[in-house]
Amino acid sequence: MIVETTGLTKRYGAHTALDNVDLAVPAGSVFGLVGPNGAGKTTLLGVLAGLRRPTAGTVRVGVERRLMALLPDTPQFDPWLTGREVVALAASLVAPDLPPERVDEVLEQTGLAEAAGRRVGGYSRGMLQRLGLASTIVAEPRLLLLDEPASALDPAGRREVLDLITRLRGTATVILSSHILGDVQEVCDSVAVLRAGRLLYQGPLAELLVGRAVPAYRIHLRPPVGPVAEALRQHEWVSEVAGAGPDVLRITVRSLRHAEEHLPAALGAAGARVVSFGPLAPDLEDVFLELTS
Amino acid sequence: MSLWRLEWLRLVRTRRLLAIAGIYLFFGLTGPLTARYLSASLGRVGTEGVRIEVPPPVPADGITQFAGNANQIGLLVVVLIAASALAFDSRREMAVFLRTRVDSVRSIVLPAFTATAAAAASGLVLGSLAAWYETAVLLGGVPAGRMLLGMAYGALFLVFAVAVVAAVAGVVRGVLATAGVALAILVLLAIAGSFGTLGRWLPTSLAGAMDPLVRGASLTDHLPAAAVAAASTVALLWFAISASARREL
Repeated sequence: MIVETTGLTKRYGAHTALDNVDLAVPAGSVFGLVGPNGAGKTTLLGVLAGLRRPTAGTVRVGVERRLMALLPDTPQFDPWLTGREVVALAASLVAPDLPPERVDEVLEQTGLAEAAGRRVGGYSRGMLQRLGLASTIVAEPRLLLLDEPASALDPAGRREVLDLITRLRGTATVILSSHILGDVQEVCDSVAVLRAGRLLYQGPLAELLVGRAVPAYRIHLRPPVGPVAEALRQHEWVSEVAGAGPDVLRITVRSLRHAEEHLPAALGAAGARVVSFGPLAPDLEDVFLELTS
Repeated sequence: MSLWRLEWLRLVRTRRLLAIAGIYLFFGLTGPLTARYLSASLGRVGTEGVRIEVPPPVPADGITQFAGNANQIGLLVVVLIAASALAFDSRREMAVFLRTRVDSVRSIVLPAFTATAAAAASGLVLGSLAAWYETAVLLGGVPAGRMLLGMAYGALFLVFAVAVVAAVAGVVRGVLATAGVALAILVLLAIAGSFGTLGRWLPTSLAGAMDPLVRGASLTDHLPAAAVAAASTVALLWFAISASARREL
Protein backbone atom coordinates (compact mmCIF):
# COMPACT_ATOMS: atom_id res chain seq x y z
CA MET A 1 0.00 0.00 0.00
CA ILE A 2 1.33 3.42 -0.89
CA VAL A 3 -1.15 5.28 1.30
CA GLU A 4 -2.66 3.99 4.53
CA THR A 5 -4.74 5.81 7.09
CA THR A 6 -5.92 4.36 10.37
CA GLY A 7 -8.78 5.85 12.32
CA LEU A 8 -8.25 9.13 10.48
CA THR A 9 -10.49 11.80 11.93
CA LYS A 10 -10.60 15.50 11.13
CA ARG A 11 -12.86 17.90 12.97
CA TYR A 12 -13.48 21.60 12.39
CA GLY A 13 -15.05 22.67 15.65
CA ALA A 14 -18.27 20.70 16.01
CA HIS A 15 -18.20 19.52 12.38
CA THR A 16 -16.58 16.17 11.67
CA ALA A 17 -15.16 16.26 8.15
CA LEU A 18 -13.51 12.82 8.35
CA ASP A 19 -14.72 10.18 10.76
CA ASN A 20 -12.47 7.26 11.58
CA VAL A 21 -11.36 6.62 8.00
CA ASP A 22 -9.22 3.54 7.35
CA LEU A 23 -8.02 4.00 3.79
CA ALA A 24 -5.64 1.70 1.92
CA VAL A 25 -4.49 2.68 -1.55
CA PRO A 26 -2.54 0.06 -3.55
CA ALA A 27 0.67 1.27 -5.19
CA GLY A 28 0.35 1.82 -8.92
CA SER A 29 -3.43 1.99 -8.89
CA VAL A 30 -5.77 4.66 -10.15
CA PHE A 31 -7.92 5.13 -7.07
CA GLY A 32 -11.24 6.96 -7.23
CA LEU A 33 -12.59 8.95 -4.33
CA VAL A 34 -16.31 9.51 -4.72
CA GLY A 35 -18.96 10.99 -2.50
CA PRO A 36 -21.57 13.73 -2.42
CA ASN A 37 -20.68 17.35 -1.69
CA GLY A 38 -19.31 17.69 1.83
CA ALA A 39 -18.35 14.02 2.02
CA GLY A 40 -14.78 14.89 3.01
CA LYS A 41 -12.96 14.17 -0.25
CA THR A 42 -11.06 17.48 -0.43
CA THR A 43 -10.26 17.30 3.29
CA LEU A 44 -8.90 13.78 2.85
CA LEU A 45 -6.70 14.86 -0.07
CA GLY A 46 -5.53 17.87 1.99
CA VAL A 47 -4.56 15.64 4.90
CA LEU A 48 -2.71 13.22 2.60
CA ALA A 49 -0.84 16.18 1.03
CA GLY A 50 0.19 17.43 4.48
CA LEU A 51 -1.79 20.67 4.17
CA ARG A 52 -4.14 19.75 7.03
CA ARG A 53 -3.40 17.97 10.26
CA PRO A 54 -5.55 15.05 11.41
CA THR A 55 -7.45 15.50 14.67
CA ALA A 56 -6.92 11.80 15.40
CA GLY A 57 -5.57 8.72 13.68
CA THR A 58 -2.50 8.09 11.61
CA VAL A 59 -1.51 8.70 8.01
CA ARG A 60 1.25 6.81 6.27
CA VAL A 61 2.34 7.92 2.81
CA GLY A 62 4.96 5.69 1.23
CA VAL A 63 6.72 8.32 -0.87
CA GLU A 64 8.84 11.36 -0.10
CA ARG A 65 7.01 14.66 -0.09
CA ARG A 66 8.77 15.84 -3.26
CA LEU A 67 7.47 12.78 -5.10
CA MET A 68 3.87 13.65 -4.29
CA ALA A 69 1.80 16.30 -6.08
CA LEU A 70 -1.63 17.74 -5.39
CA LEU A 71 -3.87 19.35 -8.00
CA PRO A 72 -6.67 21.43 -6.44
CA ASP A 73 -10.07 21.50 -8.12
CA THR A 74 -9.75 25.12 -9.32
CA PRO A 75 -6.02 25.73 -9.76
CA GLN A 76 -4.92 29.36 -9.70
CA PHE A 77 -1.59 30.96 -10.42
CA ASP A 78 -0.05 34.42 -10.38
CA PRO A 79 -1.72 36.02 -13.41
CA TRP A 80 1.43 37.84 -14.51
CA LEU A 81 3.36 34.60 -15.08
CA THR A 82 3.26 32.80 -18.40
CA GLY A 83 2.10 29.21 -18.60
CA ARG A 84 5.64 28.07 -19.32
CA GLU A 85 6.97 29.95 -16.29
CA VAL A 86 4.38 28.32 -14.02
CA VAL A 87 5.38 24.83 -15.14
CA ALA A 88 9.09 25.72 -15.00
CA LEU A 89 8.64 27.01 -11.45
CA ALA A 90 6.84 23.81 -10.45
CA ALA A 91 9.65 21.76 -11.96
CA SER A 92 12.45 23.77 -10.39
CA LEU A 93 10.93 23.61 -6.91
CA VAL A 94 10.53 19.84 -6.93
CA ALA A 95 13.17 18.57 -9.34
CA PRO A 96 15.70 21.29 -10.20
CA ASP A 97 17.75 18.90 -12.35
CA LEU A 98 14.98 18.19 -14.84
CA PRO A 99 15.93 19.05 -18.43
CA PRO A 100 14.17 22.21 -19.69
CA GLU A 101 12.61 20.21 -22.55
CA ARG A 102 10.47 18.41 -19.98
CA VAL A 103 8.51 21.62 -19.44
CA ASP A 104 7.62 21.88 -23.12
CA GLU A 105 6.86 18.16 -23.22
CA VAL A 106 4.14 18.39 -20.55
CA LEU A 107 2.78 21.60 -22.03
CA GLU A 108 2.39 19.69 -25.27
CA GLN A 109 0.79 16.72 -23.49
CA THR A 110 -1.77 18.94 -21.82
CA GLY A 111 -2.60 20.87 -24.98
CA LEU A 112 -1.04 24.15 -23.87
CA ALA A 113 1.94 24.34 -26.20
CA GLU A 114 0.50 27.24 -28.20
CA ALA A 115 -0.59 29.22 -25.13
CA ALA A 116 2.61 28.56 -23.16
CA GLY A 117 4.05 32.02 -23.78
CA ARG A 118 0.87 33.85 -22.79
CA ARG A 119 0.23 35.25 -19.34
CA VAL A 120 -1.93 33.06 -17.15
CA GLY A 121 -4.30 35.96 -16.38
CA GLY A 122 -5.79 35.48 -19.84
CA TYR A 123 -6.36 31.73 -19.50
CA SER A 124 -9.84 30.20 -19.37
CA ARG A 125 -10.83 27.96 -16.46
CA GLY A 126 -10.25 24.89 -18.59
CA MET A 127 -6.78 26.11 -19.55
CA LEU A 128 -5.98 26.75 -15.88
CA GLN A 129 -6.98 23.19 -15.09
CA ARG A 130 -4.72 21.91 -17.87
CA LEU A 131 -1.92 24.11 -16.56
CA GLY A 132 -2.49 22.74 -13.08
CA LEU A 133 -2.23 19.23 -14.45
CA ALA A 134 0.95 20.10 -16.38
CA SER A 135 2.49 21.52 -13.18
CA THR A 136 1.44 18.41 -11.30
CA ILE A 137 2.97 15.87 -13.66
CA VAL A 138 6.06 17.79 -14.79
CA ALA A 139 8.36 16.36 -12.11
CA GLU A 140 7.01 12.83 -12.63
CA PRO A 141 5.64 12.33 -9.11
CA ARG A 142 4.99 8.84 -7.83
CA LEU A 143 1.79 9.83 -6.07
CA LEU A 144 -0.72 12.23 -7.62
CA LEU A 145 -3.65 13.61 -5.68
CA LEU A 146 -6.13 15.04 -8.18
CA ASP A 147 -9.18 16.90 -6.91
CA GLU A 148 -11.82 16.96 -9.66
CA PRO A 149 -9.18 17.07 -12.42
CA ALA A 150 -11.64 17.29 -15.32
CA SER A 151 -14.48 19.31 -13.84
CA ALA A 152 -13.82 22.49 -15.86
CA LEU A 153 -12.93 20.85 -19.14
CA ASP A 154 -14.93 20.52 -22.34
CA PRO A 155 -15.61 16.97 -23.59
CA ALA A 156 -12.43 16.87 -25.70
CA GLY A 157 -10.33 18.18 -22.83
CA ARG A 158 -11.91 15.68 -20.46
CA ARG A 159 -11.06 12.86 -22.81
CA GLU A 160 -7.41 14.02 -23.01
CA VAL A 161 -7.14 14.19 -19.22
CA LEU A 162 -8.69 10.76 -18.77
CA ASP A 163 -6.28 9.34 -21.35
CA LEU A 164 -3.39 11.02 -19.55
CA ILE A 165 -4.46 9.51 -16.22
CA THR A 166 -4.83 6.12 -17.85
CA ARG A 167 -1.27 6.37 -19.19
CA LEU A 168 0.00 7.08 -15.67
CA ARG A 169 -1.28 3.71 -14.44
CA GLY A 170 1.63 1.55 -13.36
CA THR A 171 4.17 4.37 -13.33
CA ALA A 172 2.45 6.39 -10.62
CA THR A 173 -0.35 6.03 -8.14
CA VAL A 174 -3.24 8.36 -8.80
CA ILE A 175 -5.89 9.22 -6.24
CA LEU A 176 -8.61 11.24 -7.88
CA SER A 177 -11.80 12.65 -6.54
CA SER A 178 -14.58 13.28 -9.00
CA HIS A 179 -18.27 13.96 -9.21
CA ILE A 180 -18.30 12.53 -12.72
CA LEU A 181 -18.89 8.90 -11.85
CA GLY A 182 -18.59 7.82 -15.48
CA ASP A 183 -15.00 9.10 -15.47
CA VAL A 184 -14.23 7.25 -12.26
CA GLN A 185 -15.73 4.05 -13.64
CA GLU A 186 -13.68 4.47 -16.81
CA VAL A 187 -10.22 5.13 -15.39
CA CYS A 188 -10.17 3.82 -11.82
CA ASP A 189 -9.42 0.29 -10.78
CA SER A 190 -10.24 0.86 -7.11
CA VAL A 191 -12.65 3.22 -5.42
CA ALA A 192 -13.55 4.56 -2.01
CA VAL A 193 -17.03 5.87 -1.35
CA LEU A 194 -17.33 8.56 1.31
CA ARG A 195 -20.43 10.07 2.84
CA ALA A 196 -20.44 12.66 5.63
CA GLY A 197 -16.81 11.87 6.41
CA ARG A 198 -17.33 8.12 6.74
CA LEU A 199 -15.87 5.51 4.45
CA LEU A 200 -18.75 3.40 3.13
CA TYR A 201 -16.78 1.19 0.75
CA GLN A 202 -13.28 0.75 -0.56
CA GLY A 203 -11.87 -1.86 -2.84
CA PRO A 204 -11.66 -2.91 -6.47
CA LEU A 205 -14.30 -1.26 -8.64
CA ALA A 206 -15.14 -4.57 -10.32
CA GLU A 207 -16.00 -6.18 -6.99
CA LEU A 208 -18.21 -3.26 -6.05
CA LEU A 209 -20.12 -3.45 -9.32
CA VAL A 210 -20.39 -7.25 -9.48
CA GLY A 211 -21.56 -7.38 -5.89
CA ARG A 212 -24.34 -4.93 -6.69
CA ALA A 213 -25.27 -6.30 -10.10
CA VAL A 214 -29.00 -6.87 -10.55
CA PRO A 215 -30.21 -8.85 -13.57
CA ALA A 216 -32.14 -6.28 -15.52
CA TYR A 217 -32.98 -5.28 -19.10
CA ARG A 218 -33.62 -1.96 -20.79
CA ILE A 219 -36.27 -2.11 -23.48
CA HIS A 220 -37.07 0.73 -25.89
CA LEU A 221 -40.53 0.36 -27.44
CA ARG A 222 -42.87 2.13 -29.82
CA PRO A 223 -45.90 3.43 -27.92
CA PRO A 224 -48.17 2.40 -26.37
CA VAL A 225 -45.92 1.04 -23.65
CA GLY A 226 -48.46 0.54 -20.85
CA PRO A 227 -50.08 -2.71 -22.13
CA VAL A 228 -46.66 -4.27 -22.73
CA ALA A 229 -45.54 -3.41 -19.20
CA GLU A 230 -48.72 -4.91 -17.81
CA ALA A 231 -48.26 -8.10 -19.84
CA LEU A 232 -44.66 -8.52 -18.69
CA ARG A 233 -45.66 -8.13 -15.02
CA GLN A 234 -47.76 -11.31 -15.33
CA HIS A 235 -44.67 -13.52 -15.79
CA GLU A 236 -43.32 -15.16 -12.66
CA TRP A 237 -39.65 -14.66 -13.79
CA VAL A 238 -40.17 -10.87 -13.91
CA SER A 239 -39.52 -9.19 -10.54
CA GLU A 240 -40.22 -5.59 -11.46
CA VAL A 241 -41.21 -3.44 -14.43
CA ALA A 242 -40.57 0.29 -14.23
CA GLY A 243 -40.43 3.23 -16.61
CA ALA A 244 -36.88 4.43 -17.40
CA GLY A 245 -37.63 7.32 -19.72
CA PRO A 246 -40.03 8.05 -22.57
CA ASP A 247 -41.06 4.72 -24.14
CA VAL A 248 -38.35 2.90 -22.20
CA LEU A 249 -38.92 0.13 -19.68
CA ARG A 250 -36.49 -1.25 -17.14
CA ILE A 251 -37.41 -4.81 -16.23
CA THR A 252 -35.75 -6.72 -13.43
CA VAL A 253 -35.73 -10.46 -13.83
CA ARG A 254 -35.05 -13.34 -11.46
CA SER A 255 -32.02 -14.37 -13.57
CA LEU A 256 -30.50 -13.40 -16.88
CA ARG A 257 -31.05 -16.97 -18.06
CA HIS A 258 -34.82 -16.62 -17.60
CA ALA A 259 -34.78 -13.43 -19.62
CA GLU A 260 -32.65 -14.94 -22.37
CA GLU A 261 -35.08 -17.87 -22.68
CA HIS A 262 -38.42 -16.09 -22.35
CA LEU A 263 -38.13 -12.32 -22.90
CA PRO A 264 -38.24 -12.23 -26.76
CA ALA A 265 -41.28 -14.49 -26.84
CA ALA A 266 -43.00 -12.56 -24.06
CA LEU A 267 -42.49 -9.29 -25.93
CA GLY A 268 -43.85 -10.87 -29.10
CA ALA A 269 -46.88 -12.25 -27.29
CA ALA A 270 -47.58 -8.80 -25.82
CA GLY A 271 -47.62 -7.31 -29.31
CA ALA A 272 -44.67 -5.03 -28.49
CA ARG A 273 -43.00 -3.04 -31.26
CA VAL A 274 -39.38 -3.30 -30.05
CA VAL A 275 -36.87 -0.60 -31.06
CA SER A 276 -34.03 -2.08 -29.02
CA PHE A 277 -33.34 -4.08 -25.89
CA GLY A 278 -30.38 -5.37 -23.95
CA PRO A 279 -29.11 -6.27 -20.49
CA LEU A 280 -28.23 -3.45 -18.12
CA ALA A 281 -24.60 -3.38 -17.04
CA PRO A 282 -24.03 -2.46 -13.40
CA ASP A 283 -23.25 1.21 -13.21
CA LEU A 284 -21.23 3.10 -10.59
CA GLU A 285 -23.86 5.80 -10.45
CA ASP A 286 -26.55 3.31 -9.40
CA VAL A 287 -24.25 1.75 -6.81
CA PHE A 288 -23.19 5.19 -5.58
CA LEU A 289 -26.77 6.33 -5.16
CA GLU A 290 -27.66 3.09 -3.40
CA LEU A 291 -24.70 3.41 -1.01
CA THR A 292 -25.08 7.10 -0.25
CA SER A 293 -28.87 7.42 -0.11
CA MET B 1 12.79 29.83 -12.43
CA SER B 2 13.16 30.03 -8.67
CA LEU B 3 11.16 31.62 -5.88
CA TRP B 4 13.69 34.49 -5.85
CA ARG B 5 13.04 35.15 -9.52
CA LEU B 6 9.31 34.81 -8.88
CA GLU B 7 9.50 37.65 -6.35
CA TRP B 8 11.58 39.78 -8.71
CA LEU B 9 9.02 39.23 -11.48
CA ARG B 10 6.22 40.07 -9.03
CA LEU B 11 7.89 43.43 -8.33
CA VAL B 12 8.61 44.22 -11.96
CA ARG B 13 5.61 42.85 -13.86
CA THR B 14 3.00 44.11 -11.43
CA ARG B 15 4.74 47.52 -11.38
CA ARG B 16 5.09 47.34 -7.61
CA LEU B 17 8.75 48.32 -7.93
CA LEU B 18 7.76 51.27 -10.09
CA ALA B 19 5.15 52.32 -7.51
CA ILE B 20 7.66 52.24 -4.64
CA ALA B 21 10.39 54.02 -6.59
CA GLY B 22 7.91 56.50 -8.04
CA ILE B 23 6.37 57.52 -4.74
CA TYR B 24 9.73 58.10 -3.01
CA LEU B 25 11.18 59.85 -6.05
CA PHE B 26 8.14 62.09 -6.25
CA PHE B 27 8.51 63.21 -2.64
CA GLY B 28 12.28 63.43 -3.06
CA LEU B 29 11.82 65.89 -5.92
CA THR B 30 8.91 67.87 -4.51
CA GLY B 31 10.03 68.09 -0.84
CA PRO B 32 12.94 70.52 -1.26
CA LEU B 33 10.98 72.42 -3.91
CA THR B 34 8.13 72.97 -1.46
CA ALA B 35 10.54 74.06 1.28
CA ARG B 36 12.25 76.50 -1.06
CA TYR B 37 9.10 78.18 -2.32
CA LEU B 38 6.83 77.78 0.74
CA SER B 39 7.31 81.39 1.76
CA ALA B 40 6.42 82.72 -1.69
CA SER B 41 3.40 80.43 -1.97
CA LEU B 42 2.01 81.48 1.41
CA GLY B 43 2.56 85.13 0.54
CA ARG B 44 0.38 84.75 -2.55
CA VAL B 45 -2.54 83.17 -0.73
CA GLY B 46 -2.46 85.72 2.14
CA THR B 47 -5.52 88.01 2.34
CA GLU B 48 -5.41 91.79 2.66
CA GLY B 49 -4.33 92.89 6.10
CA VAL B 50 -2.97 89.45 7.01
CA ARG B 51 0.71 88.83 6.50
CA ILE B 52 2.20 85.38 6.88
CA GLU B 53 5.88 85.40 7.70
CA VAL B 54 7.94 82.28 7.22
CA PRO B 55 11.60 82.20 8.21
CA PRO B 56 13.99 81.82 5.28
CA PRO B 57 14.44 78.12 4.45
CA VAL B 58 17.58 76.30 5.56
CA PRO B 59 18.95 73.15 3.84
CA ALA B 60 17.52 70.87 6.53
CA ASP B 61 13.99 72.04 5.61
CA GLY B 62 14.27 70.32 2.25
CA ILE B 63 15.03 67.00 3.94
CA THR B 64 12.28 67.58 6.54
CA GLN B 65 9.67 68.02 3.81
CA PHE B 66 10.81 64.86 2.07
CA ALA B 67 11.02 62.76 5.24
CA GLY B 68 7.58 63.84 6.46
CA ASN B 69 5.78 62.88 3.25
CA ALA B 70 7.82 59.75 2.57
CA ASN B 71 7.24 58.43 6.09
CA GLN B 72 3.49 58.46 5.67
CA ILE B 73 2.56 57.80 2.05
CA GLY B 74 5.70 55.80 1.32
CA LEU B 75 5.14 53.56 4.32
CA LEU B 76 1.52 52.99 3.32
CA VAL B 77 2.58 51.89 -0.17
CA VAL B 78 5.33 49.63 1.20
CA VAL B 79 2.97 47.93 3.65
CA LEU B 80 0.35 47.29 0.96
CA ILE B 81 2.92 45.86 -1.43
CA ALA B 82 4.50 43.75 1.30
CA ALA B 83 1.10 42.37 2.29
CA SER B 84 0.33 41.37 -1.29
CA ALA B 85 3.59 39.38 -1.45
CA LEU B 86 3.65 37.94 2.07
CA ALA B 87 -0.02 37.04 2.57
CA PHE B 88 0.51 34.11 0.19
CA ASP B 89 -2.18 31.99 1.86
CA SER B 90 -4.89 34.50 0.97
CA ARG B 91 -5.80 32.45 -2.11
CA ARG B 92 -5.84 28.79 -1.17
CA GLU B 93 -5.28 27.39 -4.65
CA MET B 94 -2.22 29.58 -5.22
CA ALA B 95 -0.91 28.67 -1.79
CA VAL B 96 -1.36 24.95 -2.54
CA PHE B 97 0.86 25.33 -5.60
CA LEU B 98 3.75 26.68 -3.53
CA ARG B 99 3.27 24.90 -0.21
CA THR B 100 3.10 21.41 -1.71
CA ARG B 101 6.36 21.99 -3.55
CA VAL B 102 8.66 23.31 -0.82
CA ASP B 103 10.19 21.53 2.13
CA SER B 104 9.66 24.48 4.44
CA VAL B 105 7.52 27.59 4.31
CA ARG B 106 10.79 29.45 4.97
CA SER B 107 11.56 29.01 1.26
CA ILE B 108 8.48 31.10 0.43
CA VAL B 109 8.70 33.71 3.20
CA LEU B 110 12.37 34.66 2.87
CA PRO B 111 12.40 35.55 -0.85
CA ALA B 112 9.12 37.50 -0.51
CA PHE B 113 10.45 39.37 2.53
CA THR B 114 13.87 40.05 1.07
CA ALA B 115 12.60 41.25 -2.30
CA THR B 116 10.00 43.57 -0.78
CA ALA B 117 12.35 44.92 1.88
CA ALA B 118 15.08 45.51 -0.71
CA ALA B 119 12.63 47.29 -3.00
CA ALA B 120 11.38 49.48 -0.13
CA ALA B 121 14.91 50.35 1.02
CA SER B 122 15.99 51.06 -2.56
CA GLY B 123 12.99 53.30 -3.08
CA LEU B 124 13.80 55.25 0.07
CA VAL B 125 17.46 55.60 -0.93
CA LEU B 126 16.46 56.76 -4.41
CA GLY B 127 14.05 59.34 -3.02
CA SER B 128 16.58 60.48 -0.42
CA LEU B 129 19.26 60.96 -3.06
CA ALA B 130 16.86 63.02 -5.14
CA ALA B 131 15.91 65.11 -2.09
CA TRP B 132 19.56 65.52 -1.16
CA TYR B 133 20.54 66.67 -4.66
CA GLU B 134 17.66 69.08 -5.01
CA THR B 135 18.20 70.45 -1.51
CA ALA B 136 21.84 71.09 -2.41
CA VAL B 137 20.81 72.90 -5.59
CA LEU B 138 17.97 74.97 -4.11
CA LEU B 139 18.85 75.45 -0.45
CA GLY B 140 22.46 74.43 0.11
CA GLY B 141 24.34 71.33 1.23
CA VAL B 142 23.55 69.02 4.16
CA PRO B 143 26.23 67.01 6.03
CA ALA B 144 26.90 63.90 3.97
CA GLY B 145 27.69 61.57 6.86
CA ARG B 146 24.53 62.50 8.74
CA MET B 147 22.43 62.22 5.60
CA LEU B 148 23.80 58.75 4.84
CA LEU B 149 23.21 57.62 8.42
CA GLY B 150 19.63 58.94 8.24
CA MET B 151 19.07 57.00 5.01
CA ALA B 152 20.44 53.84 6.65
CA TYR B 153 18.13 54.26 9.64
CA GLY B 154 15.14 54.93 7.36
CA ALA B 155 15.95 51.82 5.32
CA LEU B 156 16.29 49.76 8.50
CA PHE B 157 12.86 50.96 9.63
CA LEU B 158 11.31 49.89 6.32
CA VAL B 159 12.93 46.45 6.65
CA PHE B 160 11.41 46.24 10.14
CA ALA B 161 8.01 47.34 8.78
CA VAL B 162 8.10 44.59 6.13
CA ALA B 163 8.98 42.08 8.87
CA VAL B 164 5.93 43.27 10.82
CA VAL B 165 3.81 42.60 7.73
CA ALA B 166 5.37 39.13 7.39
CA ALA B 167 4.56 38.32 11.02
CA VAL B 168 0.98 39.55 10.68
CA ALA B 169 0.57 37.51 7.48
CA GLY B 170 1.47 34.44 9.52
CA VAL B 171 -1.62 35.01 11.62
CA VAL B 172 -4.05 36.87 9.34
CA ARG B 173 -4.91 35.39 5.95
CA GLY B 174 -6.24 38.19 3.71
CA VAL B 175 -4.07 40.82 1.99
CA LEU B 176 -6.07 43.85 3.13
CA ALA B 177 -6.48 42.49 6.64
CA THR B 178 -2.73 41.88 6.82
CA ALA B 179 -1.97 45.41 5.63
CA GLY B 180 -4.53 46.93 8.00
CA VAL B 181 -3.31 45.10 11.09
CA ALA B 182 0.35 45.81 10.24
CA LEU B 183 -0.38 49.52 9.77
CA ALA B 184 -2.28 49.60 13.04
CA ILE B 185 0.70 48.05 14.85
CA LEU B 186 3.12 50.55 13.28
CA VAL B 187 0.86 53.50 14.16
CA LEU B 188 0.48 52.26 17.74
CA LEU B 189 4.25 51.93 18.01
CA ALA B 190 4.66 55.49 16.73
CA ILE B 191 2.12 56.76 19.28
CA ALA B 192 3.81 54.82 22.07
CA GLY B 193 7.11 56.38 21.03
CA SER B 194 5.80 59.87 21.73
CA PHE B 195 5.57 59.13 25.46
CA GLY B 196 8.67 59.62 27.62
CA THR B 197 11.95 57.99 26.69
CA LEU B 198 10.34 54.87 25.20
CA GLY B 199 10.60 56.37 21.72
CA ARG B 200 14.36 56.12 21.89
CA TRP B 201 13.99 52.33 21.84
CA LEU B 202 11.22 51.94 19.32
CA PRO B 203 12.03 51.25 15.65
CA THR B 204 9.40 53.77 14.54
CA SER B 205 11.72 56.56 15.68
CA LEU B 206 14.08 55.54 12.85
CA ALA B 207 11.52 56.47 10.21
CA GLY B 208 12.17 60.17 10.58
CA ALA B 209 15.75 59.98 11.84
CA MET B 210 17.05 61.76 8.73
CA ASP B 211 15.43 65.01 9.86
CA PRO B 212 16.95 65.42 13.35
CA LEU B 213 20.29 64.09 12.13
CA VAL B 214 20.71 66.76 9.45
CA ARG B 215 19.69 69.33 12.07
CA GLY B 216 22.55 68.29 14.30
CA ALA B 217 21.14 65.67 16.66
CA SER B 218 23.59 63.29 18.33
CA LEU B 219 24.77 60.51 16.08
CA THR B 220 24.15 57.95 18.80
CA ASP B 221 20.55 58.98 19.61
CA HIS B 222 19.02 56.34 17.34
CA LEU B 223 21.37 53.46 18.09
CA PRO B 224 19.08 51.79 20.67
CA ALA B 225 16.13 51.90 18.24
CA ALA B 226 18.35 50.53 15.45
CA ALA B 227 19.44 47.62 17.65
CA VAL B 228 15.83 46.87 18.61
CA ALA B 229 14.74 47.10 14.95
CA ALA B 230 17.44 44.65 13.83
CA ALA B 231 16.70 42.16 16.62
CA SER B 232 12.92 42.51 16.15
CA THR B 233 13.21 41.90 12.42
CA VAL B 234 14.91 38.57 13.04
CA ALA B 235 12.35 37.63 15.71
CA LEU B 236 9.40 38.68 13.53
CA LEU B 237 10.69 36.63 10.62
CA TRP B 238 11.10 33.60 12.85
CA PHE B 239 7.54 34.10 14.07
CA ALA B 240 6.24 34.58 10.50
CA ILE B 241 7.81 31.31 9.37
CA SER B 242 6.68 29.24 12.34
CA ALA B 243 3.14 30.69 12.31
CA SER B 244 2.75 30.09 8.57
CA ALA B 245 4.08 26.55 8.93
CA ARG B 246 1.46 25.79 11.58
CA ARG B 247 -1.41 27.13 9.52
CA GLU B 248 -3.61 24.63 7.67
CA LEU B 249 -4.88 25.19 4.16
